[in-house]
Parts: sequence; structure tokens; C-alpha cells
Amino acid sequence: MIVDPLPVAWTFDAIGTSWRIDTAEPIPDAVRSTITDRVEHFDRDWSRFRADSLVSRIAREPGHHALPDDAAPLLELFRELYAASGGRVSPLVGRALESLGYDATYRLVPTATREHIPAWEEAISWDGAFLDTVSPVLLDVGAAGKGYLVDLVSALLCTAGIPEHVVDASGDLRTRGIPLRVALEHPADPTMAIGVVELSGGPDDAALCASAANRRAWGDGLHHLLDAVTGEPTADVVASWAIASDALTADGAATALFFDTDPAFYRDRGITTVRMFATGRVETSASFTGELFR
Amino acid sequence: MSSRPLTIGLVGLGIATALAGCASSAGATTSANYKDGTYTGNGNYLSPEGNESISVTLTLAANKVTAVTVTPHPNSATAAFYQQQFASGIASEVVGQNIDTLNVSRVAGSSLTSTGFDAALTTIKAHAVKP
Repeated sequence: MIVDPLPVAWTFDAIGTSWRIDTAEPIPDAVRSTITDRVEHFDRDWSRFRADSLVSRIAREPGHHALPDDAAPLLELFRELYAASGGRVSPLVGRALESLGYDATYRLVPTATREHIPAWEEAISWDGAFLDTVSPVLLDVGAAGKGYLVDLVSALLCTAGIPEHVVDASGDLRTRGIPLRVALEHPADPTMAIGVVELSGGPDDAALCASAANRRAWGDGLHHLLDAVTGEPTADVVASWAIASDALTADGAATALFFDTDPAFYRDRGITTVRMFATGRVETSASFTGELFR
Repeated sequence: MSSRPLTIGLVGLGIATALAGCASSAGATTSANYKDGTYTGNGNYLSPEGNESISVTLTLAANKVTAVTVTPHPNSATAAFYQQQFASGIASEVVGQNIDTLNVSRVAGSSLTSTGFDAALTTIKAHAVKP
């Protein structure tokens, strides 16, 4: 059974997913407004599904773009992921995802030809504040964006004097001060778990992010996790989980686990990993202390 | 395989609790009366991640949920493919355990199924309530 970690839960839908925030006391209306405004603002900046977003504007107009204040940690993580995965995890897959059918109108029908996915160095230059593009590039920050937004919402709660809470955006969660026992959902059967992990509630294992290929699948072999080198969806790994000190890192790592990423990436950042292959085999990092049901 | 029903043991669970799900308790009341019977509702929702759907069948007796069956409908060949892969390959590697039997605070996955589940329950609730 599922035991709520705290007495009060606030749920809402945003950026196409369900959110749940657990607290000891009800969150005041003013703080709720601040949070929903922040989420809306993030969506307006980063959604490639909105014509009015910053990302859509960058896709229309090559040039010198000022990025929002929250861009630096996100793009920095993407740069590290890009390097650690040999270019396979890339924010430049937006156009290719569109051509596979994963576009703003949910066309979900692939075009006959695959888009070339540009290399980072040839397509964009980022100096920490400005992004320069030489051609129209469609950014896709889906690999770590939702986890990052979980961090931003958690920080708002701290600022509002609510230091103990759990922010859960359906697969990306962060706890502050609240120990959690978390079931690892079976990717083929949401009523089953393949294991359990415990988060201490401290800063070292504050975030747990999950990713699965079948969730966003819309055709035979077509899903949202694209190998930016081959331009094709990945095939071998079907589900992943990553535990890190923040949800940005954990979300990015959960994506990286679908690719042949340098293990040093996880080790250097203290990330604990679990991933499941299409064969049913499960692989964990040495730092994994949870339980797998074998 | 793809439409294999999954039975969850929720025997004796109060209907108000079941129908309110994880949402805040505001608005959930125990005053409604429901007709005994078996009801089926479909839950759908669309997100940028795609479309998901499930069927939920509830058996109600004396205002209690006595049985729940969830039937997933994978919307893609990929999902069906993976389910077959797991059916044949998982036994020797990991064994799934029913989440209902685990004492946990969270389920970490990517299914988002709870949204569809809640939608199906809302439909059932509307059909089952006594006029």
C-alpha cells in the first residue's frame, strides 16, 4: 500500500503531467500562485509545443538570443551530458523528434525522411547568458527539463518558509527532510514494482527520477528518446531510475542511462543508477542500496 | 497479453477514499449513495508525452468497493512489444511484486496511469450514484 509521507497533498496538472506536493500544513494560496506562475513561465520559455515560447522563437529566428536566468544550470548539464554520451544525449533533437511525429499537433506519424541532427559545436554557441545560432534549431530540453522544474518549485517552497516537502512531477521527485520509501514501477505493468529504494530525506539522495521508453511511444520503435548520433529511437534499455542530490541531475542521468554514457559521469556526481533492459535484465550502480525483487 | 486484466486487491476500501484518490480531501464526502453492481469506465488523457487509456471495472456493494480490475490498453505496437518481451524474459531476472503489498510512500515510474485511473473512476462514480 501507499502511505502518504505528510498529511497534506496539493495536486495539479501542468506541462502535460500530474504534479503532487506534500507538506505538513496546507500551502497558502499566495505560495500556490507563485508556484503555478513559475511553472507557467518555465513552459513559456522551454516548451517546443507552444508557438509563443522562447524555444519556438529560437527555432524561427537564428541569431543572438538572451536566455532566461534559469537557463545556465540546464544548458550546463546538457553540455556535460552531450560530452559524456559522445553526442548521443543532445538538446538538438527537437527537429528530428518532430519529423518522427512527436510534434506540437501530436501528428504521431513519421515523415519519410529523417532530419539531420546537428552537432552542438556546428549549431549553437552558448556563453552562459546568450545563445547564438547560425541556423534555425529547435531545442528540446525534455531530457532534464522536468527534473529541473521540480528543483525550481522545491526552491520556491523553501523561500516561502516550507523547508520540509516532497515535490513529485510524475516520475521526477525531490524530497527535503522527508525520508521516503519508493517503489520502482515495473515499466510494463504499473501495478507492479521491480524493487524498492529508500531516500533518507537528506541532501545527498534528495531526488529520484524515472524514465521509461514505453510511456511516450506512438508507433513501432518510435518513442521520445532519440539517439542524436543515429537519429533513431534507442532500443535496448526500457526503463531507468537515477538518484542524485537534485532532480535536474537525476532527470538528466535517467535519460543518459538509455545511451552508452561514460560511467564516470554518474560516479563523479554521486549518482546512483538502476536500469532495465528489454530482456528483463536489471543493472544497478555499486552505490545502489535498495532492494530488487529477484 | 496486451489487454490482460490486472486485479488489485482493494477489498473493503471505503468508496469515498477510493474515488478521492490522492487529491486533497476537500470535496470528498461520504454522503453519496451508490447502487450495488459492477461498473466499467474508461480513462483517457492526452499529454505532450502521448495518449494513454485504461479500463477500470469496479464492483460496488453497500457503498464499498469490493473489487477493482484495471485493463491497460497500450496505444502502440512498441508498448505491446515490450509487454511481450517482459512476459518472456523477466521471470529469470527480476520478479515484479504487487505495489499494493509494499509499504511505500511513492511509486517511481513513468506510467502516469493514475490520471487515467482517476478519470475512469469519475465516470463510474457518475453512473453509479443513486438519483
